[in-house]
Amino acid sequence: MNRKTGVGTWIGFIAILVWCLLPVVWILSLSFKPVAETTVGSAQFLPKSWTLQNYQDIISNPDFTRALLNSFGISLIATLLAVIFATFAAYAIARLDFKGKRLVLSIALAIAMFPVVALVGPLFDLWRTIGLFNTWPGLIIPYMSFTLPLAIWTLSAFFREIPWEMEQAAQVDGATSWQAFRKVIVPLAAPGVFTAAILTFFFAWNEFVLAISLTSSTASRTVPAQLSFFVGPDPFNPPYSQLATASVVVTVPVIILVLLFQRKIVAGLTSGAVKG
Amino acid sequence: MSAIEMKNIVKEYGDGFPAVNDVSIDVQDGEFMILVGPSGCGKSTLLRMIVGLEDITSGDMIIGGERVNDKAPRDRNLAMVFQNYALYPHLTVYENIAFPLRLSKQFSEEEIDRKVREASKTLELDEHLERKPGNLSGGQRQRVAMGRAIVREAQAFLFDEPLSNLDAKLRGQMRTEISRLQKRLGITTVYVTHDQTEAMTLGDRVAVLKRGILQQLATPRELYEHPVNLFVAGFIGSPPMNFLPATVKGDQVEMPFGTVRIPKEKADRVKDKGLLIAGIRPEYFDDASVVEEHKLKEGSTFRATIDVVEWLGNEAYAYIPFDAAPEVAAQLTELEKELDMEAMRPQLIIALDSASMIKEGDEAEVWVDTRKMHLFDPETQENLTVGL
Repeated sequence: MNRKTGVGTWIGFIAILVWCLLPVVWILSLSFKPVAETTVGSAQFLPKSWTLQNYQDIISNPDFTRALLNSFGISLIATLLAVIFATFAAYAIARLDFKGKRLVLSIALAIAMFPVVALVGPLFDLWRTIGLFNTWPGLIIPYMSFTLPLAIWTLSAFFREIPWEMEQAAQVDGATSWQAFRKVIVPLAAPGVFTAAILTFFFAWNEFVLAISLTSSTASRTVPAQLSFFVGPDPFNPPYSQLATASVVVTVPVIILVLLFQRKIVAGLTSGAVKG
Repeated sequence: MSAIEMKNIVKEYGDGFPAVNDVSIDVQDGEFMILVGPSGCGKSTLLRMIVGLEDITSGDMIIGGERVNDKAPRDRNLAMVFQNYALYPHLTVYENIAFPLRLSKQFSEEEIDRKVREASKTLELDEHLERKPGNLSGGQRQRVAMGRAIVREAQAFLFDEPLSNLDAKLRGQMRTEISRLQKRLGITTVYVTHDQTEAMTLGDRVAVLKRGILQQLATPRELYEHPVNLFVAGFIGSPPMNFLPATVKGDQVEMPFGTVRIPKEKADRVKDKGLLIAGIRPEYFDDASVVEEHKLKEGSTFRATIDVVEWLGNEAYAYIPFDAAPEVAAQLTELEKELDMEAMRPQLIIALDSASMIKEGDEAEVWVDTRKMHLFDPETQENLTVGL
């Protein structure tokens, strides 16, 4: 009986793995194929001759490295700011009783549901007028406004889970409200903060519509936008292997990030705070 | 260490409901004061007003001779143990205990270390210092919470139902532990509980609260022997006091089981009062056949059919159902509700000597010590025989 379910589980497990990972493996395989092989329409799965030439080309491409820098800078700054603001906002929403609390939450949710593409036109005009077009802040600000709602919702759920007594105990122990927040509440909400940070980073890292519309040069163009300029000399024959290589390079940081933080995301840090 | 004085403390919530209504309690320096009452009586609110987690609507809270109404919790220098312990799960036991010391910023690293180790030794937490609260048992967590309180030189300890999350056996153990610790440190302590056993065993004095109003403030012995009203009488003591409808004629009291004679001074107090409620504790009854000759004369006897007998070894409880007069039945049902008890059909609970041979279904001769009978006014619920 036990063995039977084991076999079934494994079959399902493998099916899902293949389903999810096949495209990734395909891109990996493409990135190791020489350009000549992909341009003639190579149909085989694995490269006939393995090469690292694509990686060398892409690393030495100044446009790409500049875009990579933009991506890192913009995503990290947007994440940092969004998480800091969201932490304060979520704490206020979870702990304080003020008028219009529901309104703030509903508006935040409405913004999160707003289609990004509807904002492109107005933002383009506005940014050009006030001089934010084709700058880092020009992307950081809209990224923050789209990720803040989600971060606030995630974090306020986490804050609500933390028993009030923790904070009151800290206050009785001699902490100011700020000390109680910093030394007790924030460490306890760490899994929530990391979750919010990762969600924000992913959004900013992968975002394409705003990145292509609000930039005009590599001064602030991020990798997803820059990839669309990898057309090569022949528009009917894009350099697939180069594109695949670039994709691999931008996916690696995301994978590393998830692996680094997945242990932090594990909830249950609050266990032991109160009665078991 | 210092005295805590509460003067006409009132707590009203936004809707005007007074959770605590005009309560005045003076806790002397080094005294162990218990606040007790059924749920919703305002005892926790009162404690939280002492520590500063709850605003005071009116009245004066004076700690160590200083009015603290407008002081933040951290400026009151009080230590509190919460019902669910509220330990910091991200810190080790050591850091949990050191937390208040580190915040005060007036101790060097060596001083902190010395104080933490002293506290952990007192509470036998030495081998757990490096563990996180999540890996500790309920009793150990309870001790860590106490460690965090005793490590500071606080003016007073406040306990908010600290034992209610422990199982019965551990509760008894920790109760003794808290009592011993308090005696040794000699620190002013306010302890909130809904458990009358804890109240009786721990307290130097006990304040009984009902719906935000202080009912009686007295030593456990006084509460037990001289309750001022029906509520206190019913709340203190386990099993609870029996309440029976009673009509007094001269020195004869007519009760559902028959007529008994009460001492003259009690009879004088309740002359011409009509229908009353008699309160008799289970242990004031006994099996007439095992009561000594000279005691037998002090009380009265009556015959009744025993419904159920619970034998506990050292004593036995016998249950005798009766019909209450409708005038007092409503009062008694109301009282049971106030005491958080299930309203059941009226029955008499009698504590029998373990030597008694009474069995279920027997008709037995029951002796009652009428000297210790209380008589309550059904209208005002006051004890008319208080002090006798």
